[in-house]
Amino acid sequence: MTGISFHEVSHTYRPPRSAPTLALERVSLDVREREFLALLGPSGCGKSTLLYLLGGFLPVEAGAVTVAGKPVTGPGPDRGIVFQNFALYPWKTVRQNILYGLEKQRLPRAERERRARELIELVHLGGFDNSYPAQLSGGMKQRVAIARTLAVDPAILLMDEPFGALDAQTRALMHEELLAIIRRTPKTVVFVTHDVREAVYLADRVAVMSARPGRIKEIVDTGFAGEKGPALTGTRAFADKVEHLWDLVRGEAILAQTRRD
Amino acid sequence: MARVTALGQAALRWVSILAVLILWQVFAEAHVVSAFLLPSFSTVSVRLYHDVVSGDMILAVALTLYRAFAGFALAAVFGVAIGILIARISVMRWFFDPLVSIGLPMPKIAYLPVFILWFGVFDASKILMVTFSAIFPVIVASWAAADGVEGVLLWSALSLGAGRRQLLWEIALPASMPQIFTGLQVAMPISLIVEIISEMAMGGEGLGGSIMTEMRFADSPGVFSGILAIAIVGAVLVKAMELIRRRLLLWHPEALAG
Ligand SMILES: Nc1ncnc2c1ncn2[C@@H]1O[C@H](COP(=O)(O)OP(=O)(O)O)[C@@H](O)[C@H]1O
Ligand SMILES: [Mg+2]
Repeated sequence: MTGISFHEVSHTYRPPRSAPTLALERVSLDVREREFLALLGPSGCGKSTLLYLLGGFLPVEAGAVTVAGKPVTGPGPDRGIVFQNFALYPWKTVRQNILYGLEKQRLPRAERERRARELIELVHLGGFDNSYPAQLSGGMKQRVAIARTLAVDPAILLMDEPFGALDAQTRALMHEELLAIIRRTPKTVVFVTHDVREAVYLADRVAVMSARPGRIKEIVDTGFAGEKGPALTGTRAFADKVEHLWDLVRGEAILAQTRRD
Repeated sequence: MARVTALGQAALRWVSILAVLILWQVFAEAHVVSAFLLPSFSTVSVRLYHDVVSGDMILAVALTLYRAFAGFALAAVFGVAIGILIARISVMRWFFDPLVSIGLPMPKIAYLPVFILWFGVFDASKILMVTFSAIFPVIVASWAAADGVEGVLLWSALSLGAGRRQLLWEIALPASMPQIFTGLQVAMPISLIVEIISEMAMGGEGLGGSIMTEMRFADSPGVFSGILAIAIVGAVLVKAMELIRRRLLLWHPEALAG
């Protein structure tokens, strides 16, 4: 049971020495079990905030966030998260970063090492086991962060623009890897992005958010559930879906832009 | 290229030191001032050599280092603990913030008479004097470091299954290490300086104590050889701290770049 529900959730940031920001306003959203949901919206619309509430990192002050019917009360290994800025431990090597979550589970040492090896291979970082994050490129760091999160095999995967720092080619490879991983060990995924094509390609449904304060503007079924693959991106149906979502997002992006000025 | 400049700079340091020593030697040999006021570098070096061979200097250095290190160790342990507690617990911040603001810039050595009064003139009072002087930079560095730990590092640890209690040892402390170590690098020479001044004021052998004794006996080469020894010990300590930093913070960009 990994269904997720947001019910009338609002969130206000109250920084000590500046004006409060209403980041989310009465957001209601249901994510079905084993669904891949993309959150699409302009920068600053509250996508990360939504993810942090679900992760249990921020207190739910208005409304309700539940997982499998139970209110979220704090972080836990059932909800793995890949942060926007990696959040790697700079004093640990690639291998040690990936091992951290495994050490928290009561696995025998040999088993932990075996899983770490597998994950390093999975994200194509073989040979960098003993490198420190400071020695890696942005794309490599991002892959370490993904491997570290996958290591504990969370039922729910929260990803905050996880491929933002990758070049187009690596990003396409990572898309295939991610889809393969989810086919092998099905998960409920909430995937934040501001890349329309990425959202359409990966997700079963795309929730489009409005500019601040964030609300869910529309939820679009991509309808490509069974036929994911590089060939999909060339089809007419795919292009139409991207176009449709672009229209929805464009207005919000412009709104977000004018508000910032 | 970078390597050549680094070597050049190392050489330059020796050049300037050598220049001062040669000037010293030439000036002393010229007998502008008497050999009592300024014994030559060669005289002082020979004296230092004899003091080392006889074991007197070894004993003095050992005693001074023992007390300086003991005081430093206490300052390190309690300074880091207090600094981190201040950063994490608001009551601690409320209590310590004003005390640290007043204590940090204060010349701690002014408390020497009080320490003598309370703890006597033996090892305990010197060690505590060192701790009291060295603890402030450690507190301030640890406080700033713990304050600056990125929230997402703690969040990611929690979501990977860490308990709240594990966050301190496994995440906050290692993340703070570079800044904490900078505080320790400031505290180390302070420890040596305060220890030597305390010995000069309280007696009790050691590098500072023997310089004062030699002065009383009008043994000027002895005084200068003591000063030379202090300079060497201080330089070695500072260098040692740099090396330990490099080994300890292997992961840090500064170490990886070098
Ligand atoms: N810690 C914070 N303190 C104050 N305001 C914040 C904080 N975090 C985010 N915000 C504000 O809340 C809004 C939503 O932020 P965020 O969820 O990060 O948006 P997104 O991830 O969609 O770019 C933004 O306007 C941002 O400036
Ligand atoms: Mg964000």
